[in-house]
Amino acid sequence: MRHSTALPIAYVFLRILILLNWVFAGCVLALLVFTFVNEAWTMKALGVTGMSDAAQVTWAMRGIAALGVAAAVPNYMILTRLLKMVETVRAGDPFVAANAYRLHAIAWLLVAMQLISMTIAVIGRVISTEEHPFHLDAGFSLNSWLAIILCFVLARVFAEGTLMREDLEGTV
Amino acid sequence: MGIAVKLDDLLHERRMTLTELAERIDITLANLSVLKTGKARAIRFSTLEAICSVLKCQPGDLLEYRPD
Repeated sequence: MRHSTALPIAYVFLRILILLNWVFAGCVLALLVFTFVNEAWTMKALGVTGMSDAAQVTWAMRGIAALGVAAAVPNYMILTRLLKMVETVRAGDPFVAANAYRLHAIAWLLVAMQLISMTIAVIGRVISTEEHPFHLDAGFSLNSWLAIILCFVLARVFAEGTLMREDLEGTV
Repeated sequence: MGIAVKLDDLLHERRMTLTELAERIDITLANLSVLKTGKARAIRFSTLEAICSVLKCQPGDLLEYRPD
């Protein structure tokens, strides 16, 4: 088998991303908890003290933070599945049924991530006013939906490829 | 299995071993064993031709349809 440097790099990169995902989730969770522990300080730090709708903004921000923490779960599931797929490629046996299932699961998890992102964007839009505009990097993304379609198609390609390989292996 | 492979019978009639056949048609013994034991999912025309040529038989002598 031809050796590629891309695979070991991808393997290490994915492991780092898995770690960073939990670090990010931990930080957001800590922030969320702190908004309850010391609400006044947090609101001052976020710059929402004194606003007429401060309570609504506070709860919206907590909602966004909670969704951010929740997003870490599908993110982790995507990364671990991708890591397992990279392992099968490194082992020289990527056309297996498990990879087709993994890609299919990744496609659905990406749908979940996109829905979370769109929900965050809606919350941001609801609480955004001229007084305190919110610019969140979330919402509908054409590229994300293209990636989702690509994953669904690739899952089928892997499933067909697995069947073809099984046929070929059983051919004398 | 609907299709039965009668390679064992043909080899017995010709007093030939599976190893000998494998060497003459240039197919691995493992692959030929898969065919003999009925575990193969498909057979290539080239394999069928080679077996028929060496065993001097027709494809119908090698394969038989057995309704379940």
